[in-house]
Amino acid sequence: MNELVNTPTDFKHRQVVPMQGDTSTNKVEKPSLSIVLEDRKSARANPPKAAAEKLNFWYGANQALKNIDLVIPENQVTALIGPSGCGKSTFLRCFNRMHDLQPDTRYEGAIHLRPDNVNLVGREVDPIEVRMRIGMVFQKPNPFPKTVFENVAYGLRLRGVSNRTELAERVEKALRGAAIWDEVKDRLNDSALALSGGQMQRLCIARALATQPEILLFDEPTSALDPIATAKIEELITELRQRVTVLIVTHNMQQAARVSDFTAFMYLGELVEVDATSKIFTNPSKKATEDYITGRYG
Amino acid sequence: MHVADPHEHHTSKTVDQALTELRTHAVEMGGLVIDQVGSAVKALLERDGRLAEVVLSREPLVNEYESRLDRDSLTFMALHQPVANDLRTARAIARSGLELERVGDESKKIARFAAKAGAVAAHDPVVAVGRSLRHMATLSTAMLRSAVRALDEADPGLARQVLERDRELDEEFASALRQVMSFVMEDQQFLRATMDTVFALKGLERIGDHAKNIAEQVLYMVEGERPRKTKKSA
Repeated sequence: MNELVNTPTDFKHRQVVPMQGDTSTNKVEKPSLSIVLEDRKSARANPPKAAAEKLNFWYGANQALKNIDLVIPENQVTALIGPSGCGKSTFLRCFNRMHDLQPDTRYEGAIHLRPDNVNLVGREVDPIEVRMRIGMVFQKPNPFPKTVFENVAYGLRLRGVSNRTELAERVEKALRGAAIWDEVKDRLNDSALALSGGQMQRLCIARALATQPEILLFDEPTSALDPIATAKIEELITELRQRVTVLIVTHNMQQAARVSDFTAFMYLGELVEVDATSKIFTNPSKKATEDYITGRYG
Repeated sequence: MHVADPHEHHTSKTVDQALTELRTHAVEMGGLVIDQVGSAVKALLERDGRLAEVVLSREPLVNEYESRLDRDSLTFMALHQPVANDLRTARAIARSGLELERVGDESKKIARFAAKAGAVAAHDPVVAVGRSLRHMATLSTAMLRSAVRALDEADPGLARQVLERDRELDEEFASALRQVMSFVMEDQQFLRATMDTVFALKGLERIGDHAKNIAEQVLYMVEGERPRKTKKSA
């Protein structure tokens, strides 16, 4: 009769033996579910890296952001989704004070960066200083018309790194971090403009990484790329979160689903809902979110 | 037709990882359920009340596995929008989880019967069809094992073997029913126990069908075409 029980179920890749209630000794043990089935994947928020508090923003008389309260957890990917004109890019650009380049814009409220609690949009805070801590990657790859090496070394030189060995080391590290080293290591002195679109975009990520930013902002980083180059960038983004906090704006909801830990849905300048990505895409709390992600808008 | 290799890697490691997790999860559940079936039948044949209790106490764990598998595969589909073989794989795994959960239910029923069966009577229906019960349990667990393994390794050959073996199980069930009938004709005193015995036999026969359903899912997963329904012999 023993062939019926406790036959180790031998599957090629793994040995599966039932784990509880040893039937050979007839000992009755109550199963403890928590041991066998510890929760495999539940997105829990890390401590915050940045927090927007009652953030308002105006282009002239036009209010683009209304009372945004949003916490960006450290070393996780937060995606901003929403229809065109909902304010997601505007919100992203507040983080590195891009709006300062435009006349007649106004911030109200705060974006506090942890741990030192500096208010990124505070009038007393120098935008240059903010941009030293926050990197950004744009929709269209925008490498400088220089060599591959110089593109990445540029920010480092600005920060006063001049030692050649150190520069070379940090450039290599950044290029490796952006998963492009193997493709460009033999053409570091070629023009960056000779690279493919996907490579240029990863070069721009390497350029942003080189100065070790605390937050990396992505504004539609793959909308100009083909599906394979997109997949590589997405894979890179999921890897990057081990080193840096990521905030990404995307038109592509599926992309938000694939790469992010948390998703925030914005509409008409307001934050409608923010939650774990798995929650947003399986059971959002707000009807507006559900309508948007299922394509029922308008 | 493109035959998918489940161990071929994606550009996205997260997809690989999620699919591997789902697969591992299903295999673990399979191992547990196979043991449930074997233990339940053993408990019945040997009148081992404690072993029956073990089976009953593990039943919630089976259900927990199923609901996790269901939830995780749903989340996987929502977040990764799998297509083609990835989609078929995710669905095959989720549906196999459902089949395994039903196998768990069948073993629970057999264990319940075993728990209340008491000592062996002079004229006992379980003893009368003991050989068939044992044989059917061995067969159905072997089928389950092959089906789960076929799912794990995406092996269509192994899946086809499961479909073929179901006939053997059905024949054994038919012969066991004849034995039960002649038993009842001789002695109607143990009608309740006889009915329970028939349910146990039927349960084992159903377990074979669940294994077959898993195997069919595997074939669809690997080959992308639904296997022709094999005619079920009565």
